[in-house]
Amino acid sequence: MDWGLLFDSYINVFSSVQVIGMTLLGALGGVLLGAVPGMTATMGVALLIPFSFGMDLIPSIGLLLGIYCGGMYGGSISAILIHAPGTPSAAATLLDGYPMCQKGQAGKALSIAMFASFCGGVLGALIMTFLSPMVAKMAMKFTSAEMLMLAFFGLSVIVSISGKSIAKGLISAFFGLLLATVGQDPTYGAKRFIFGFRPLLSGFAFIPTLIGLFAIAEVIAGVERIISGEEKQLKSEEKITNVLPDFKTIKQIWHNIITGGLIGTFIGAIPGAGGDIAVFVSYGFNKSTSKHPELWGTGIPNGVAATESANNGCSGGAMIPLLSLGVPGDAVTAVLLGAFIMKGIQPGPMMYVNELPTVYRVFATLMLANLAMLIVGCAGVRFFAKIVSVEKKMLYPIILVVSLLGAFSINKSIFDVGVCVLFGVVGYLMNKFEFPLSPILLALILGPMCEQNFVRFVDVNNGNFWEILHRPIAVGFFLVSVATILFSIYNQQKINKREAENKRKTGNE
Amino acid sequence: MKKTQTKAFASLVCSVILLIFEVWAYIETTGFRVHKRAFVQPATFPQIMICGMFIFTVVLFLQSLLKVTRGMKPEDPENEISASINPFTNRGVAAAFFVIILCVLYTYLFDKLGYVLVSACISVIIMFLIGKRNFIVMILVSFLVPLIMWLIFYKMLTVNIPMGVLQPLRDFVDKL
Repeated sequence: MDWGLLFDSYINVFSSVQVIGMTLLGALGGVLLGAVPGMTATMGVALLIPFSFGMDLIPSIGLLLGIYCGGMYGGSISAILIHAPGTPSAAATLLDGYPMCQKGQAGKALSIAMFASFCGGVLGALIMTFLSPMVAKMAMKFTSAEMLMLAFFGLSVIVSISGKSIAKGLISAFFGLLLATVGQDPTYGAKRFIFGFRPLLSGFAFIPTLIGLFAIAEVIAGVERIISGEEKQLKSEEKITNVLPDFKTIKQIWHNIITGGLIGTFIGAIPGAGGDIAVFVSYGFNKSTSKHPELWGTGIPNGVAATESANNGCSGGAMIPLLSLGVPGDAVTAVLLGAFIMKGIQPGPMMYVNELPTVYRVFATLMLANLAMLIVGCAGVRFFAKIVSVEKKMLYPIILVVSLLGAFSINKSIFDVGVCVLFGVVGYLMNKFEFPLSPILLALILGPMCEQNFVRFVDVNNGNFWEILHRPIAVGFFLVSVATILFSIYNQQKINKREAENKRKTGNE
Repeated sequence: MKKTQTKAFASLVCSVILLIFEVWAYIETTGFRVHKRAFVQPATFPQIMICGMFIFTVVLFLQSLLKVTRGMKPEDPENEISASINPFTNRGVAAAFFVIILCVLYTYLFDKLGYVLVSACISVIIMFLIGKRNFIVMILVSFLVPLIMWLIFYKMLTVNIPMGVLQPLRDFVDKL
């Protein structure tokens, strides 16, 4: 590592008004786009790439990375405030973020999300700077066997996010995995569960399903609560004196931020795996290792910190294979790859030889993008937190029409609006009968990855699945998954026992 | 409280419905195309998932059945009163079902009336349903929010959203 050159690159980037301006603009756009359900960071980057044509490489990368990092944080705003994750990477943030908002701690949840996003992003950027070639080499060892077991590892988290009934959680998960098979089979193109309905050929689009399960279901349930007189109007009585979390909170969440950031960076570095998987893995891991797993899901800062640091950690992780190997880690970095090529730079191993100053400037720009996201986030916390004070009788219809527009805008398809409504009803009924929704979401993310890699692996090995035992990383993931499942079951039983005891005690009193 | 009002009984009913669904889904997979040379058939993965779902549904069925027939401790969470989905006995559920019907109508009319108008209509109806009576605010908010969203999506994000009968508005914005 050329320390002098690295230092010069940082100075160069952090002293350029154009780079700073573009990165701040990107972060602002990213936060706002990410906060709208249905608008993802990928969409933002793809939309703004034409605007970067006329710019130099580093300001244009600053603009795009600003959107990327801002979008990752922006997704958490709607997840925390209205139970509708703005981006798939924010899907796990609502598990604790929304209950915090319900407790009147919206501002605190937003500031924790922002701080954790920043720390996770910085951690990812640091790992990218110092360990890039090493992590890339490891990530490239991932073939179909390892990807299959990574997906299995992701699914093992389901037990820890299942809530009181593990059986119901697992039913939800298998239902989600089954839903993921609707449409054309990825290997042979056979039609499955489409009943002659052509729009179903490509299956249920993920984002309309996500919006339906969470936002629409919440609106329907909210209307029911208002009519039944069970809805409480939240008032923003919370005084936000400091837009960043206080020292006590940071002390409480720092370990979740670090583990989340590390998990996010590593998963982000694996091509095909992104923030949506990392957040659930991080949530499950942090919950399993917590001293009080029973508090997770009730609105604790640790849950928000664990997920938000993971999704922003992914931004650094996803850049690792892009720069080191020329392989994009996710959809956003695939668009970024296009931006590099447009400027005449081919990412890959030779970039570290021929374009080292550019590589270092990209490292510095990612760091700047995270800083820009923090600045924009700090400026917006007070404003965003006010949204919860809007009268619920006005807020629910607004959430409904904005969410349905988000569902439409993904593929510009009315069918997706129908899918969104359908899953809204499914989510409403599942909530009523205490079937957890998060396992469906995780299954929809991991289902296609699981099936494709399972089929590929079995085909490559002439039908011998047990060949997987010769893949040490895959076996390692499998063992960790089994341990996670067993530990989560043990934890859940402990929680149920403790809750029953508390109930008995309060009953006796 | 009757046993049929408990959460355990609701879980029992849910598990029976799920079992029927799983049997139907499995039968459906037997009709998928078969590839002679393939090691993993297109039906294999869905069938594995259905089997997994079936196993845990049976577990839920047995757990609930035992609780319903043998009785439960008072502190058992499954002994609590279950949520209702009967719109005839619960006004809240009736309102929720009404919103679902509105959403279905919304999907049907989205293309015909256009996003702004259909969104304004659904917003006003829902606000009225849940007790808002300030009509000026209701109409203003219901119309302005979809209009602003449309403008953002159309002009800034270049997403073409159906305008239906308000098509002249788009032409006007284009001219500007």
